Amino acid sequence: MMGPATSPPPAWTGSPVTRPIMLYKIPWPLERSRRWTRYTPLLNVNNHSLTSTNLWDASIYTRTKKSPWLAVAVYTGMETKMALNYQSKSQKRSAVEKSMNAFLIVYLFILISKAVINTVLKYAWQWSPDRDEPWYNHRTENERQRHVVIRAFTDFLAFMVLFNYIIPVSMYVTVEMQKFLGSYFITWDEEMFDEELGEGAQVNTSDLNEELGQVEYVFTDKTGTLTENNMEFIECCVDGNVYIPHAICNGQILSAASSIDMIDSSPGGYRREHEDLFFRALCLCHTVQVKEEETVESIKRGIHQGKPTSFYISSSPDEVALVEGMKRLGYTYLRLKDNYMEILNKDDEIERFELLHVLNFDSVRRRMSVIVKSSSGEYLLFCKGADSSIFPRVVSGKVEQVKARVELNAVEGLRTLCVAYRKLSESDYQEACHHLNEAKLALQDREQRLAQAYDIIERDFVLLGATAVEDRLQEKAADTIESLHKAGMKVWVLTGDKMETAAATCYASKLFRRSTQILELTKKRTEEQSLHDVLFELNRTVIRQRSMSGLSVDCLDFGLIIDGATLSAVLKANQEGAGSGNYREIFLDICRNCSAVLCCRMAPLQKAQIVKLIKASKEHPITLAIGDGANDVSMILEAHVGIGIMGKEGRQAARNSDYAIPKFKHLKKMLLIHGHYYYIRIAELVQYFFYKNVCFIFPQFLYQFFCGFSQQPLYDTAYLTLYNISFTSLPILLYSLVEQHVTIETLKRDPSLYRGISKNSLLRWPVFLYWTCLGVFDAVIFFFGAYFLFDNTTFTSNGQLMTTNTQMMFGNWTFGTLVFTVLVFTVTLKLALDTHHWTWINHFVIWGSLLFYVIFSLLWGGIIWPFLNYQRMYYVFMQMLSSGPAWLSIILLITVSLLPDVIKKVLCRAMCPTAIERAQDHEKLSRGGVAELTPLSSRRSYKGTSTDSSHLHLGAAETLSLHRSDPLPQKLLVHLAEGGGADLCSLSPYVLRLSGAGYAYYAPGPETSV
Amino acid sequence: MVKQEREIGNRPDNTAFTQQRLPAWQPMLSAGIVIPGFVLIGLAFIGIGVALFVTSRSIQVLEMDYTGVEPTSPCFRCSDPDVKNCVCNLAFNIDTLFKGPVFFYYGLSNYFQNYRKYSVSKDDDQLSGDLDNFESPSDTCSPYETVGSVPIVPCGSIANSMFNDTFKLYQIVNGNEKLVPFDGKGIAWWTDYNVKYRNPSVTPLKNAFNNTVKPISWPKPAYELDTSDAANNGFINQDFLVWMRTAALPDFRKLYRRITEGDYAKGLPAGNYTLKIAYNYPVLSFQGRKMVVFSNVSWMGGKNEFLGIAYLVVGSMCVFMSIVMLIVYAKFKFPEED
Repeated sequence: MMGPATSPPPAWTGSPVTRPIMLYKIPWPLERSRRWTRYTPLLNVNNHSLTSTNLWDASIYTRTKKSPWLAVAVYTGMETKMALNYQSKSQKRSAVEKSMNAFLIVYLFILISKAVINTVLKYAWQWSPDRDEPWYNHRTENERQRHVVIRAFTDFLAFMVLFNYIIPVSMYVTVEMQKFLGSYFITWDEEMFDEELGEGAQVNTSDLNEELGQVEYVFTDKTGTLTENNMEFIECCVDGNVYIPHAICNGQILSAASSIDMIDSSPGGYRREHEDLFFRALCLCHTVQVKEEETVESIKRGIHQGKPTSFYISSSPDEVALVEGMKRLGYTYLRLKDNYMEILNKDDEIERFELLHVLNFDSVRRRMSVIVKSSSGEYLLFCKGADSSIFPRVVSGKVEQVKARVELNAVEGLRTLCVAYRKLSESDYQEACHHLNEAKLALQDREQRLAQAYDIIERDFVLLGATAVEDRLQEKAADTIESLHKAGMKVWVLTGDKMETAAATCYASKLFRRSTQILELTKKRTEEQSLHDVLFELNRTVIRQRSMSGLSVDCLDFGLIIDGATLSAVLKANQEGAGSGNYREIFLDICRNCSAVLCCRMAPLQKAQIVKLIKASKEHPITLAIGDGANDVSMILEAHVGIGIMGKEGRQAARNSDYAIPKFKHLKKMLLIHGHYYYIRIAELVQYFFYKNVCFIFPQFLYQFFCGFSQQPLYDTAYLTLYNISFTSLPILLYSLVEQHVTIETLKRDPSLYRGISKNSLLRWPVFLYWTCLGVFDAVIFFFGAYFLFDNTTFTSNGQLMTTNTQMMFGNWTFGTLVFTVLVFTVTLKLALDTHHWTWINHFVIWGSLLFYVIFSLLWGGIIWPFLNYQRMYYVFMQMLSSGPAWLSIILLITVSLLPDVIKKVLCRAMCPTAIERAQDHEKLSRGGVAELTPLSSRRSYKGTSTDSSHLHLGAAETLSLHRSDPLPQKLLVHLAEGGGADLCSLSPYVLRLSGAGYAYYAPGPETSV
Repeated sequence: MVKQEREIGNRPDNTAFTQQRLPAWQPMLSAGIVIPGFVLIGLAFIGIGVALFVTSRSIQVLEMDYTGVEPTSPCFRCSDPDVKNCVCNLAFNIDTLFKGPVFFYYGLSNYFQNYRKYSVSKDDDQLSGDLDNFESPSDTCSPYETVGSVPIVPCGSIANSMFNDTFKLYQIVNGNEKLVPFDGKGIAWWTDYNVKYRNPSVTPLKNAFNNTVKPISWPKPAYELDTSDAANNGFINQDFLVWMRTAALPDFRKLYRRITEGDYAKGLPAGNYTLKIAYNYPVLSFQGRKMVVFSNVSWMGGKNEFLGIAYLVVGSMCVFMSIVMLIVYAKFKFPEED
């Protein structure tokens, strides 16, 4: 149903009714890329040959309802472009969940081996008959008759039941609750609330919260994600004088009169002339069309032009922005009518120019020209193009000033164009016409000859000036990318745009810096050399640099630019066979050394392919994809974490994503703060759960050695049941919801802290082993501590609390209760030691749980419960508490259990502190001295509309960074205007820089002044 | 306006909780806290340890095995299971005054009162005097639930295996045996005696046991455990209560009597003693051992050196670790801070 409908409908007809249905297998035209043109289907139907020329677009077919033809529907259903570019949603599992499952398998293994060991030991131990069945513990007849294998099996199962608590079923419940409840913090986050959209972040799945803290690769769409999808004319510079319209504020166009600030500054004759020519050049030298009515939605780039129903449309959004910018500076392009271009100039007069020739833009020349005839009969050639293609052809004009300005703007990430003109005499014009017509009529090498003709015509320019257009970056996009880089993430920009545009954005968004060495892997290069050579050469470069620079790798970073065609070549070469060289590996190797990669000219599914490729590379990095449009959906679905931007292009991406945020800048908070917190929270949750269950069950395992392997439980049933449900559940759940090991401000200030938790560092096997060993150690302490108190000694209460008793013996339930009490206190206090952020909630649940345990035990042992047929816990807890040695041993055992962990923590912090621990130290130091200063200063810098304390975090760095897209403060404009003259061009960079740094000092800031 | 309202409606609550900005105390295990803390804990523990150790040392314990495994043992004759109603005399002598109150225990080793089947083999309802459970004891009592179809009361393995050696202590004064009075009251838990275990409210008690049989191993039924004292008979017999509280570990002691009365209220004076043991309880079949223990107690209970030593060890470890940490800190931390 796709493809060009270049020819009339199939030329064969037939009876549509009687023909049997036949199914044809049609080869797919060039795998799923955007080049649909190369069709190869050949198909014979009744001797009619069908080729691509017979293909017809479905939409056309439905529109032209004529007499019935016989048609073959091809590429339908699941073979449509839509369907093929769509990827089914697969379940995503986080890295934490995967390691959790791995740990679980280990614990399952431990459980089974414990049961097996005990069963085997039981029968080994029972080998002698006096142990098997002593006279005081006879079996029933039934039991005696049971076969030994069955007995052994039942014993095994009984041990499994006894030890099953080591598999923390409640952990899964707690993890789910943590994820579900925890995700509310994302939706609740006011900083991620967008005033314009009236929406905050959305959480579509809570399964991946912690994965946000593990991201290593960020794949981002460009248009609409990094940029606002909105080109804007920023400034122009005529002979070094800068003109800045500051018209668009919050999407509303100010009246034209007020938008021109400084055009009328001492108009000298020469200058005035250039100025006029410059504005006219921009109004004329373009291929913009004026659309009078609101048509289809596809003309999004059109901006309202005076009347509500007219738009500028063009294949290049830059041109629209330029023409639009001119309009704001007072020169309105009205229409092209009968080959005359009409301009409404500043004095509201209509000027008409006859359009004679358009020398179209191409990417080799990187410029375009028009030849027009003014109403006064002058022939003018206007040319605009990239600086590199204009400057060599300029013969006069203030080249130096313009060049300085252009360079400055390029550094700022603006898309610059230079404008030049040439007056043509009648003879010049005729000659040019001659060249052009000859070339256009040439039968062979037409393009080459056209290029030659252009080359002849476009020369001897007089430089007029330069323009700067911004594909407006989203607010704080550069800052966000910088933070992501600092956090150790590799950012890839995947875009369908052409390379130059994309690269400009990458520079603007600080993805590439000036120091970045760009490696190109594009079709242009692979046409010159083979893919093989290019790849190897790049790889060599990377490796050489890496080995040369040694330690200072991060000083020199690489940026890679690759286009869709080359990418599919890289991937395809690999599919064809490993013999042709493992390009994929080499490619990945190059990518690994690049901090930033730009993939341009990508088809939607290729975006997903790239993500898949990285996912499958040998390190298995965690990937994140972020995009706003339907074309990003496949990538969002493919990546470990998919984030949708609630952008202008519908909500497809947001709906298919795991998380949806209003703006790209929110990614920073999402990853660096929420992701970080969720990760450390859940990591502790998982480890702690395994730990506390080891502590819980291991004493019971040890007890089997002292009760003849008879599956005697150490703890009462109520304790067994409630341990995970009530006594130890809430503290860890609340910990995993509110813990903040460092403050939000610190995380924001220092994105590199994110590296500290990368690669699932808190759930690696050594850490897991540490926790498990700690659990075993604690369990051994609990059990043998109690054992030595009970064993062969007269461990008794002196009965001072209960005067009728002076001596009481403790039974096995007291033994279990003693162990259990130590256990509950130890694991809770262990969590208390790990808690770094004690809110009232933490205090409440930690001390509350302990209190609950004590109260429950008093109650459970204080009453003869009528529904129980055994009263074994009756007064056990109270009797235990009435014994001095019990108190002493509880205190001792808790202390001993906690000691090693405390010592380990203190020593590690002193000897090899992690970045996070350093940050904590730093926080603590600064909390003392600067505490009073910080809130004040940040409050001052905060935008005045709200007094919310939640915004106090706005650090100085954020307030200071000035974005070009922000409307400039009025005062600054005045400064610029007063400066005037030719010096301004060279001065203004400093002024602008200053304005960046001094933004905070222009007291009320732009928000209040505009 | 509508849009504004929507925005306000969607806007998340700006509370300290939702914005994760609850005020918090952020303690840290830094050297400044941990090292002094360790020193303090260490010193406190050493103090407690010394006190415990000294106390424990002052406690006198006298243990005597009377299983009769060795032929030289006075109870060797009795250890033969075929010999019935055997009494053996265990003579011993005390050098110095055994300070009172003296507690007299019997001890069993290699005896697993904590077998799972064994420790559940009783009927708590029956033992609380519920007559319904006299007629049909709980299944858990099996195989000591019934004899034929007649229910056993008290049923179950624990009751059946009740310790039934009896002891009488004599001091040899001028060649004559002088009985040392035993106090058998209040040796069980107060709650067991007063709440948990109840005799059925039938008088005479014997009638409640109609249509039941005594446990197989018992020489006499429950209502004859102490015919001299109704408050110590049946299910609330102190020896029975002590036995019914199953021990945690296979080597255990149980309180038998206290010596608090008469001439011996201050303790056992130095001299020669004879313990007359009615040897009934078989332990050799499962390699068990029987012993008697005389002990006095302190504020912290019976003799228990473990606790004192443990406190001393942990306390000194704390002090030691604080020194180690101090060294580590001096080495790693201070240069940085400069």
